[in-house]
Amino acid sequence: MSALMDFLTVFTQPQLLLLVGLGTFAGVYVGAIPGLSVTMAVSILISFTFAWDVYPAISLMIGIYMGGVYGGSRTAILLNIPGAPSAIATALDGYPMAQKGEAGTAIGVTTVMSFFGGFIGILVLAAAAPAVSGFALRFQPRDYMLLAVLGILLVGSLSSGSLLKGIFAGAFGIAIGSVGMDPLTFTPRFTFDQPMLRGGINFIAVMIGMFGVSEVLLQLHHVNTPAVRQKISRIVPSFGTIKRYLPLSLQTSFIGVIIGALPGTGGDIAALMSYDHAKRITKNPETPFGEGAMEGLVAPESANNAAVGGAFIPMMTLGIPGDAVTAIMIGALFIHGLNPGPMLMIDHPDMFWFIVGALVTANFFMLIFGLTGIRLFVKIVEIPRAVLIPLIMLLSIVGAYAVNNSITDVYWMLGFGVFGYFMRLYGYPLGPVILGVILSRLLDDNWRRAIISEREDLGRFFSGIFHSPLSTVLLLAVVLIFVSQTPLWRLIRRRKA
Amino acid sequence: MRTIVFGAMTALAFGATAVSAQDYPSREIQGIIQWGAGGSTDTVMRSVTPHAEEVLGGTVVMQNMTGAVGAIALNYVADAEADGYTVLMGAENPMLYRTMGLGERDYSEFVPINLLARGTPILVAGPDAPYSTYAELMAYIAEHPGEVRFGSTGPGGLPSVITAMMQSVEGELDVIFVPYDGDGPALTALQGGAIDVMPAVLGAAIENIRAGTMKPLAIFDTERNERLPDVATAVEGNEGYSTYLPWGPFFGVFVHEGTPDEAVTALTAAYAQAAEAEDFRALMDTRGFTMMNISGDEAREFLAAWQSTTAWLMQEAGLAVNNPADLGIPRPGE
Repeated sequence: MSALMDFLTVFTQPQLLLLVGLGTFAGVYVGAIPGLSVTMAVSILISFTFAWDVYPAISLMIGIYMGGVYGGSRTAILLNIPGAPSAIATALDGYPMAQKGEAGTAIGVTTVMSFFGGFIGILVLAAAAPAVSGFALRFQPRDYMLLAVLGILLVGSLSSGSLLKGIFAGAFGIAIGSVGMDPLTFTPRFTFDQPMLRGGINFIAVMIGMFGVSEVLLQLHHVNTPAVRQKISRIVPSFGTIKRYLPLSLQTSFIGVIIGALPGTGGDIAALMSYDHAKRITKNPETPFGEGAMEGLVAPESANNAAVGGAFIPMMTLGIPGDAVTAIMIGALFIHGLNPGPMLMIDHPDMFWFIVGALVTANFFMLIFGLTGIRLFVKIVEIPRAVLIPLIMLLSIVGAYAVNNSITDVYWMLGFGVFGYFMRLYGYPLGPVILGVILSRLLDDNWRRAIISEREDLGRFFSGIFHSPLSTVLLLAVVLIFVSQTPLWRLIRRRKA
Repeated sequence: MRTIVFGAMTALAFGATAVSAQDYPSREIQGIIQWGAGGSTDTVMRSVTPHAEEVLGGTVVMQNMTGAVGAIALNYVADAEADGYTVLMGAENPMLYRTMGLGERDYSEFVPINLLARGTPILVAGPDAPYSTYAELMAYIAEHPGEVRFGSTGPGGLPSVITAMMQSVEGELDVIFVPYDGDGPALTALQGGAIDVMPAVLGAAIENIRAGTMKPLAIFDTERNERLPDVATAVEGNEGYSTYLPWGPFFGVFVHEGTPDEAVTALTAAYAQAAEAEDFRALMDTRGFTMMNISGDEAREFLAAWQSTTAWLMQEAGLAVNNPADLGIPRPGE
């Protein structure tokens, strides 16, 4: 009974309701601007809300978080510039839709599916948090490594056209990700004695450059082409459409919750994996993937919002952050005199249900704000290129600078922008580069941990894999997905048929 | 636009008054926090500083400047004008930069305004570990060579210092060191069984100890901790530790050498009083930190002793990049 009261706290206190709404609204726009991340917004809020009570502070942060994860898809669809890494997969099919004048439909679908995904995430958090966090804890370094290998195999789905070019792009991403001071041994890698390279190459700067600046340069090829007129008759998707994609959304939401709940992986990986999943299970998409397939929007958007609820699972049950944002929120709880950890649910059960309530509220606000601003938002695409191009350029520069207040990041961003432009010109996909950067550390660190734990003995390493059901399943998945991408698979299938 | 105009106007106003530094602080003080938002350094600084502001009668605008194990922030403050308007809020890491080859500068270029508190290291194990005390762990390691997995966080971090201390006192330990990028991820791995033992700071483990998801083996201090009175100290396990302990990571507020005395005096008085604030002490207590609240020569001595102990432990463990002797860091006790 008291759980219900705590759950309803947000709904019954207008001030909290207002803060969640305000946070969600701000989050949608912060998330949409590349370079302004949810993590950054929440860190600023931590100092801003220092003197507040804990409920209002957390309400605002949760709103920003939920709204921000959703907001990243806006610019991905409209401008081909993901507002956040978790929206990279959304750009793959969202932008082609905008180019066909269907940006309104695309945003409508992503909003509803983000809402649905967010809701599944919260539901799992509320109903099964201890079980899921127990499962997440069982992931050993070798399992994270296998998960990263599974991720690397997504290169196949992310590269339309030449697989070889995709592999090159992915390998390049992994190389970028390994530049800098190795956090495990403090050995500089690929730094060429340049102090500037010690901290590594900022991944957000790479993303903004590769997507933003390369897009600008590419658009310069046809400055005079008039902008695509957007059809904005149909924004809220019909019930039939929703029903049709619901099974896919449900599946990818669960992928999102689990990946989100794992400490060390977050919405970005979840969204990419879900995109891959959608591509695998959709036999005959209405529109091919990469050209504006609805499934390509539904999957990553359900997954990245479901990952929000997922990230709270280890935070609430164990005091372990599920991602960068929840890591900061744990700090916020400390500041407000709570002790996040395994005892939080026992000492402060109210906090758990309050957070669940705030997440539900934020999710509803996200749906409302998401569906109301669309008409105005899609107009962005209709802005003449002569105005839009300099605007995107400016936004990219500000965004890259804002990440760390570092001018070096701006140079990186511009450099990778030019590089990305040439990559696109010659048909190299950009998705795998970002995938490589995201997975580089996960793969490298966990491989080293895994093999060090086994006294650097490969035999022990493999016997360890087969002694753990979890590792065995992951290894099987890796092998199956790998084989399914080789000519061998086609051969087997042809023989069967 | 309005803010720009306002900024320009205030800048003009400062230009006029900055000449006479009589009334410190006459403008906003910039506080540079070496670590990210929500981390322990951030929490400590953001909770103590509002009290210092009250005493100072001024504003301290805090900003997190992360990167290069805190060296970015340190260099920023060191390069700013030494006028008392740029303050460094940091942790212990810079005292190892030279030894670990991470940078050329450390706190010897700074005036310690206040060393607020220090953390207590604790050795924890998973709840099902077949050992419950320091002695049992040592016996287990001896019986099962090359099996126990210790979490570590890279050379120079707390775990590396504690394990170096253990190897110096107990001799070579035949265990596996599994590297993690921070004590948070390592303590997560401990709960998942990926590692068996982890040296951590008390505050990071206390909630798990309370919940029974981690088992405390030894407190690395000379006296028992009042938050865990039943846990024996490392010194009780082996007298040899008394050479190195008490040791622990610390938090401090610094200004660059050459800052006018007036500013140093005002800041020192402000932080000394702020560190006594009740809610700040309560926060330090729940997070398992031991208050120090020292400044001036006392703080300088602490820093020198800390550097000497740690740098030489790193050197003996073979982890140092530069020999502390070449850097002019005296051996402990010299």
